[in-house]
Amino acid sequence: MTDVVTSPAVDLQQLSGGELLPSRVPGETRVVVPLVTLPRACQVIVDGVGARLATMVAQDERAETGSFTLAYTFAIPDRRWMTIECQVPADSPAFPSVTPLVPAAHWYEREARDMFGLEPEGHPDLRRLVMHDDWPAGVFPLRKDFDPSIPVPRVEADPYRFHTLHGDGIVEIPVGPFHAGVIEPGHFRFAAVGEVVLALEPRLFYTHRGIEKLIEGKSLDHGLQIAERICGVCSLSHAVTYCQAAEQILGIEAPPRAAVIRSIGLELERLYNHVGDAGNMCAGVGFMVGVAHGARLKDELQRLNEQFTGNRFLRGLSAIGGVRRDLDVEFAAQMSLELARIAREFGELTAMILGSETTMERMRRTGILPGDLARALGVVGVGARASGIDLDTRRDHPYAAYRDGETARRRDGKTARRPDGQNLPPSPAVGRGAGGEGYSAVGRGAGGEGHSAGGGEGFPVPTREEGDVAARLLVRIDEVAVSFALIQALIAEMPAGPLIAGWTPPTTDAAAFSATESPRGENLHWLRVNAQGTIERYRVRSASFPNWPAVAAAAPGNMVPDFPLINKSFELCYACLDR
Amino acid sequence: MYDLLLLLLQIGIMVGIAPLLQGLIKLCKARLQGRTGPPLLQPYRDLAKQLRRESVVSDQASWVFRYAPIVYVAGLLGAAMLVPTVSQRSPLGGFADAIVFIGLLALARFALALAALDTGSNFGGMGASREMTFAALIEPAIILVLLIAALPRQSTNFSTMAGETAFTIAGLLAMGAMAIVIIAETGRIPVDNPDTHLELTMAHEGMLLEYSGRPLGMVMWATQVRQITFIALSVALFLPWGMAPLHDPSLRQMVTGLVAFLAKIALIGVVLAVIESSVAKLRIFRAPDLLGLASVLGVLAVMATYVVSP
Repeated sequence: MTDVVTSPAVDLQQLSGGELLPSRVPGETRVVVPLVTLPRACQVIVDGVGARLATMVAQDERAETGSFTLAYTFAIPDRRWMTIECQVPADSPAFPSVTPLVPAAHWYEREARDMFGLEPEGHPDLRRLVMHDDWPAGVFPLRKDFDPSIPVPRVEADPYRFHTLHGDGIVEIPVGPFHAGVIEPGHFRFAAVGEVVLALEPRLFYTHRGIEKLIEGKSLDHGLQIAERICGVCSLSHAVTYCQAAEQILGIEAPPRAAVIRSIGLELERLYNHVGDAGNMCAGVGFMVGVAHGARLKDELQRLNEQFTGNRFLRGLSAIGGVRRDLDVEFAAQMSLELARIAREFGELTAMILGSETTMERMRRTGILPGDLARALGVVGVGARASGIDLDTRRDHPYAAYRDGETARRRDGKTARRPDGQNLPPSPAVGRGAGGEGYSAVGRGAGGEGHSAGGGEGFPVPTREEGDVAARLLVRIDEVAVSFALIQALIAEMPAGPLIAGWTPPTTDAAAFSATESPRGENLHWLRVNAQGTIERYRVRSASFPNWPAVAAAAPGNMVPDFPLINKSFELCYACLDR
Repeated sequence: MYDLLLLLLQIGIMVGIAPLLQGLIKLCKARLQGRTGPPLLQPYRDLAKQLRRESVVSDQASWVFRYAPIVYVAGLLGAAMLVPTVSQRSPLGGFADAIVFIGLLALARFALALAALDTGSNFGGMGASREMTFAALIEPAIILVLLIAALPRQSTNFSTMAGETAFTIAGLLAMGAMAIVIIAETGRIPVDNPDTHLELTMAHEGMLLEYSGRPLGMVMWATQVRQITFIALSVALFLPWGMAPLHDPSLRQMVTGLVAFLAKIALIGVVLAVIESSVAKLRIFRAPDLLGLASVLGVLAVMATYVVSP
């Protein structure tokens, strides 16, 4: 997998002042720096080329090299990756914190401290993050000498200290982790004056299942079963990301037909999430008609998922090397018609939501996430695109059928057509009559030119500048239109060929990572296998991980009763944050 | 004897039909939103379920929390008995005073707000604070509306006030104020959302979060009685057609009155469902604008009474 050392790579290497290592995935520049220069190296990459911290992977390599390894991976705006690594000695497990210079690193470093016992020196907030108060001190679950089969006795400890504000009329409002509705557990601590939020501190990680530890020592196939169950609503995204990382290690590629089927599945996943979320956002403002129809359309999409894959959450579709299920021509035609109908009805629903002045009034200027703050926190997905950040993994790091669709098809020759030989009907444009106040305009890049299945430059990425709840709704609506069109285009031009590539378990130590654009944004999985062919280390950075701090940042200045709406507009996942 | 029968009828209507009206509104809302919705009689089942269940009381709660539901229920049932429904005659005759009515409602609200504060739960406190804020704005509007009805007859007794056809300028303005009062007092969108599970957005529901079992059932029932009371009041003041006369009604007139009353409250229930399904809830700081509008309409109506009418 060693990439050719190109000149931009040398530039990045010189900028960071590190020593070049062989890259793990195409387009990655990987350097190792001395521990003391780590924060500075990260800062020059972020400030110098506008990189975004994409993940941070800590590893316990004491058995092999006598030290821990930290690897900070950045997404470079020109669509490459940059990894800065350093060794943390086993006898003094501490490292200079990157957080003061690169705020996006704050949760990664706290997690490394909880899970590996690596002390980030100079980190502004050294409270527990992942392991809560009752976890004993000095027990670090992701170290290799921790045996997960032995139960860990829980301890009494000082309760977690929230940041508090003091002053006349300031009240603390604790909410959760149990809620009146059936949602995932999470605690939110508000400081408010009357109904105005001054500060919000979320405390999450109540659903930590130790997945990264659980998967160690498992075979690649077994690992997929676990990866697919990280979260319900992004199952396929997680599965595909894992499969792609494994394929990268194995040096294989999913056949073109499998790539297209994966992309169709991924877009179906985006559709049922976005459609359901658009309806759910109406629940935040009490617009009950929107809620009811959003739920109805979401269920119709999930039934379609079940017809397609046998599972409403699209589980079991992706396999290492390709897919397990074919999409036959008849069902593809049926799905195409069904999707065209749902697209039309979703158009009616969005016209109703955007036409409801009372609804839009609640959403406008509510929960504003400023673009510079979103950049500093490394926000991804809808939250980033609604704050003017133009990023989408499907375009920036194309995978599956978003990679150059044309070349994949040419290589394979044949394309599938509808049984009657006709081209499939184009997806109807999303109706959005009565938007009002400039919201009626189609988001940048979303409409207009025909959508090709291929990724790369032409891939439409809707963005908005406002950063409020309404912008996040509108970005979702625009993305739904893109997804509907994309699926139709993919169905119309399905390449023939095998569904899965064969592979044998790896026999050498190797690592790779892969990213996909889940409905919530970029999911990044980092995977390493050892010479026995089992998983040595697995690091999941779901889209919710960098986005949760943005929810807390968007709340102050809003009314307390507007928080559920703001939270729904980001629609993040607790389970795939916690793992 | 006649008064006693009238009172029994009133109890039957107010207490017995209140859950049915709630069921009707819920069913209409569901149908308007494209859902099947709960059966019409579901509120009765919910109440039966709650009344059978044991009550769990927080160890932080004092006697206030335990006795508040009794005051709440008593206050609202008392208020419900004052309003003329089938006939123009109020079952409690001489006691049926508009000022007593307002006082009983305020007492009930005060008791529940105290109970919500008593446990020290945040949502109770937030709910109580919002409910009292809304109340401070909506009570003047109620007083003004009742004043409009009282002025022409020079009496604040409901039996005298009811039955006045209200198609004057003052009457129409007061009707507008009353419409807003009903929405606010029944805790409906766009002021409050009775169906939400989002604790942070709750007003009335927030005050009930700590209750369970029988007290919860009682409070839910009484809240349904409050809803039908306000609808009945607006019917008596502004849509009096078909009401049996004040003195010596025939059986036929009473039956007509009953049918007309049921038809009118059902109609208003459907209108409420339509409003709830067509708009979103207001931002909490915008709700006072709407409630203030009710008071403004009330003041205009009082002025119109003197300026326009002779």
